[in-house]
Amino acid sequence: MDIRFEQAEARFEGRTVLHPLTLTLTERRIGIIGLNGSGKTTFARMINGLVTPAAGRVTLNGFDTASDGEQVRSAAGFIFQNPQNQIVLPILKEDIALGLTSRKLSREEKQAEVNAVLARFGIEHLADRRVHELSGGELQLAALASVLVTRPEILIMDEPTNQLDLRNRALVEKTVHSLEENVLVISHDLDLIAGFDRVLLFHDGRLLADGEPPVVIDRYRTLCAA
Amino acid sequence: MKTLYVQGNTWLHRLSPGLKLGGLAVFSLLLFATRSPVVLAAAVFLAGAIHASMRFGVVRTWQQLRVILLSISILTVFTLLLNGPADALAVFLRLVALAVLAATITATTSTAEFIDTITAGARPLERIGLVKAADLGLAIGLVVRFVPEVLARYEAIRDAHRARGLKQRPLTLAVPLIIQTLRHADEIAAAIDARGIRGQNNRKLGEGS
Repeated sequence: MDIRFEQAEARFEGRTVLHPLTLTLTERRIGIIGLNGSGKTTFARMINGLVTPAAGRVTLNGFDTASDGEQVRSAAGFIFQNPQNQIVLPILKEDIALGLTSRKLSREEKQAEVNAVLARFGIEHLADRRVHELSGGELQLAALASVLVTRPEILIMDEPTNQLDLRNRALVEKTVHSLEENVLVISHDLDLIAGFDRVLLFHDGRLLADGEPPVVIDRYRTLCAA
Repeated sequence: MKTLYVQGNTWLHRLSPGLKLGGLAVFSLLLFATRSPVVLAAAVFLAGAIHASMRFGVVRTWQQLRVILLSISILTVFTLLLNGPADALAVFLRLVALAVLAATITATTSTAEFIDTITAGARPLERIGLVKAADLGLAIGLVVRFVPEVLARYEAIRDAHRARGLKQRPLTLAVPLIIQTLRHADEIAAAIDARGIRGQNNRKLGEGS
């Protein structure tokens, strides 16, 4: 995996929400932290092209996020802050199958893929359930399944343990740590990212710190205490 | 995320979605080809009998149909005032028959089946360059999927008014409903883009934190 920001900048309604940034990400586990409104989500959305740079360039494995949308999105799966917003169809197995639309598979092949991803997360019993009936933890697993069925190379997760109780938080943390894919996680849950390879700290739309988790997390705690 | 679909294994659930949607289209055309109260009443009876055979229960049926029945009643009153009782009766029976059958089809056809069927039906139009079949199927499927969602939002806003002791005015109900619906539509669109469900269409800057 190779993510590059080359003087990439994001603006929203004339306001700069991410100042020009140049960096390369190749690590397998990357954490993103920062206060609310610091530019974390914008940064993550730029990686899979949901937000395109107002200036500069972002590439994923050499593909430009502004012009190579199809390649970028097939390589980068995205889990939204609220998994309810991620799930398009009301029955779980149908929603997971919807993600396979562009792969032109037969009905049987789609079914096999859906069954495999449900089994991977141990949620086969939820296949026919209505999404609004699922618990917070189940919803996160459902969102994971709906994205990972397309086999992305990197998974971007926006606050996956947000609004979960301790039990569901532990379930999602365990799942995140067990993922084989490259993972980039935005989180206020510092325990989740403590063991990651690299952590980025954003503040006021700028990259404030970048490095090993203990150092960057300490910097974040200092910032929060100020 | 509620759904109009009711899971089950009735004969109508098992019937091909294409046949159901085609049948509904033909039924609606026939309804508009006649003004006979007897024929239209028979159509209401037929639609009602099909609906009753699904055994969805009175409560669910009422919840599903109450809004459309209110609209039909308003339309009937206007027709009565403008065109007289004969036309009003025809409008009422025609629309009730159509609404009941359409509700039954919707309750026995999942959103995914809707999308697949409409996409397949639109393929010939795609071949002559008129539409993109997958987009059309997805769009219509999302409309079906969003109907209960919008109603649930309306009820939540109405409850919030009650909880705060505010008088319910059309404007104070409609404005937050429209804003919330548009915001949610934007989020769903972002999810569809992110998951690569439809053709690639890079969006400009969305929400950021």
